[in-house]
Amino acid sequence: MTDYEVRFGGTEVQPAAGWALEWVDRGRGIGRLTNGQFSRPVIVEGAGSEWFITLAGRRIPVSVQTWRERVLAEARGAAADSGAPVDIRATLPGLVVAINVADGDEVEEGASLLTIEAMKMQNEVRAPRAGRITAVDVSVGQPVATGVLLLRIE
Amino acid sequence: MRKDSGRSGTRIRRILVANRGEIAIRVMRACREMGRESVAIYSDADRDAPHVMAADRALRVGPPAASASYLNVDAILDAARQSGADAIHPGYGFLSENAGFTRAVEAAGLTWIGPPAATQEALGNKLAARRAVADAGVSVVPGLLVALDAAAPPDLSEVGFPLMLKAAAGGGGRGMRRVDDPADLPNSMAAAAREAQAAFGDGTLYVERMIAPARHIEVQLLGDRHGGLAVLGERDCSVQRRHQKLVEETPSPAVTPELRAALGESARRVAGTVEFHSAATVEFLLDADGGHYFLEMNTRLQVEHGVTELVTGIDIVAWQIRVAEGLPLDPSVLEPRFAGHAIEARVYAEDPYDGFRPVAGTITAWHAPDGPGVRVDHAVAEGKPLTAAYDPLLAKLMVHAHDRPAAVARLRRAIDETMVGGLQTDLGFHRWLVDHPGFGRGDYHTGLIADDWPDGAPPAAEDLALAATAAVDARQLAAVTNNGRVAAGPATDASDWARLARREALRGSDHD
Repeated sequence: MTDYEVRFGGTEVQPAAGWALEWVDRGRGIGRLTNGQFSRPVIVEGAGSEWFITLAGRRIPVSVQTWRERVLAEARGAAADSGAPVDIRATLPGLVVAINVADGDEVEEGASLLTIEAMKMQNEVRAPRAGRITAVDVSVGQPVATGVLLLRIE
Repeated sequence: MRKDSGRSGTRIRRILVANRGEIAIRVMRACREMGRESVAIYSDADRDAPHVMAADRALRVGPPAASASYLNVDAILDAARQSGADAIHPGYGFLSENAGFTRAVEAAGLTWIGPPAATQEALGNKLAARRAVADAGVSVVPGLLVALDAAAPPDLSEVGFPLMLKAAAGGGGRGMRRVDDPADLPNSMAAAAREAQAAFGDGTLYVERMIAPARHIEVQLLGDRHGGLAVLGERDCSVQRRHQKLVEETPSPAVTPELRAALGESARRVAGTVEFHSAATVEFLLDADGGHYFLEMNTRLQVEHGVTELVTGIDIVAWQIRVAEGLPLDPSVLEPRFAGHAIEARVYAEDPYDGFRPVAGTITAWHAPDGPGVRVDHAVAEGKPLTAAYDPLLAKLMVHAHDRPAAVARLRRAIDETMVGGLQTDLGFHRWLVDHPGFGRGDYHTGLIADDWPDGAPPAAEDLALAATAAVDARQLAAVTNNGRVAAGPATDASDWARLARREALRGSDHD
């Protein structure tokens, strides 16, 4: 019996009974899933509890956690879910080309906050919830990497 | 070396390809096949890129930012001088439709492999082209024939909503915005103008009425310097997101022989408004009643030229080179024979499950399809980070078969053979599309993705369960063999430990 729990988003997923992974090229993460009869090509990337499994062209993020990792993650989640400030971070690398809000502005959910140009596209960043802008950490013309704090909503 | 002039032409010896990625490789392949030398240029981000490996010579032109490298006219002309190139092919994008560059190339005594600068100027401004084409008696998409004033947006109620804002200097879907509500006009104009300014250095906008449902049909032209003009059929480019093409096919399932003749005649008239030679594409919208309206003419090689090459057997790039040398088109081009059906699926680094958002990352695994009737143009290299500064196109999967159903089946098979690891691509979308009933019948329009693609839907339950199996097994196998990490670092041979762990994993799932 495995003591791992697998989740996709917030939902627990039961592994497919009778199927197992066989490596074809482990260095590149290429393998096949087989139940002894049928075979599906798969690409596996990841480490520890965070994995990406590419099946039929879709790269599926799943977490594989032991009981101990799960309890720790839940404790962290509870702390973050109490109406606390929301950090808006860059989800892709690019260039900040427009900022539509300033410190202290009240915004509605879905309001356009700023625009990041990446891969030659203008990507609008919108407010995930209503609130007040308490910090604008970037300026127009600034290149940002994935994960960089752009601004904060309280 | 031949030095004749006139119809026998002046042989080009060495071609600098002012581009990167798959299109640079495509042009270099034509050079090799014709016995011409090729010269690559590269930015610091591309020092070891596939297109550099494909050329006979390679020169650095600048830092990673496109504006400092692949758009750097002085550096590119310098590279041409240093390498002894006598001609420049621009590929698509970058400087391919920049008349200033074309003139600079010719002023430097080099041969330009593409339509003349005057043609690029006349057609590069989409708004001026609209006026010229309307004067030549070809229907244009209804709308205004003047530029929008950014400071004082006019009353557009006579054009009607929804409408399309477009960049006068535009192309490739950039600087383009659909506007449904007059209240959104100021914001949309500002965003479109900013995007146009960033992409083309010119934020001028014009407006067209939205035609929906519509199909996006384009006609491939090839012309010589002696008045020869070949119409190489049409391509249906109606599968689009963000007004950019994802899939192209030829012939279009919506085009009857009569309509094909009419489209060809319109395309000839459009080309007749300018002094034209080399390769270009005339784009039209086809409405539900079969009426066709001129959109724009692109004075360059198109991304999707390969499907036309598959059904005609004509090497468009090779003919661009011959035409640049002054040779006339021969009867095999002027009276092309069309065979079968070809489809292209563009593989992009973007997430179709999240609004086709571009994604960054590094490709950790890549396997291209092959076999009967498959052509793949790509410049994918495992282990090299994608640079956000460049186009996110990874590969073009092209298939050719005797008819459309066979081509769709072949595309399905080619998609299934393709593997990309390390980042999300749109392959899953393409796999969905080939089983879409409307696409299967050839009955679809530019709204297909917006109307039917289940953006954001979770994976199928069966695939989720299999993904869970793969992840648990990988974690268990990695724990005993590879210091916990998979698909990073050099491969080690599967050890007894791995086999043991796999057996245990199998046994574990047997208990469920």
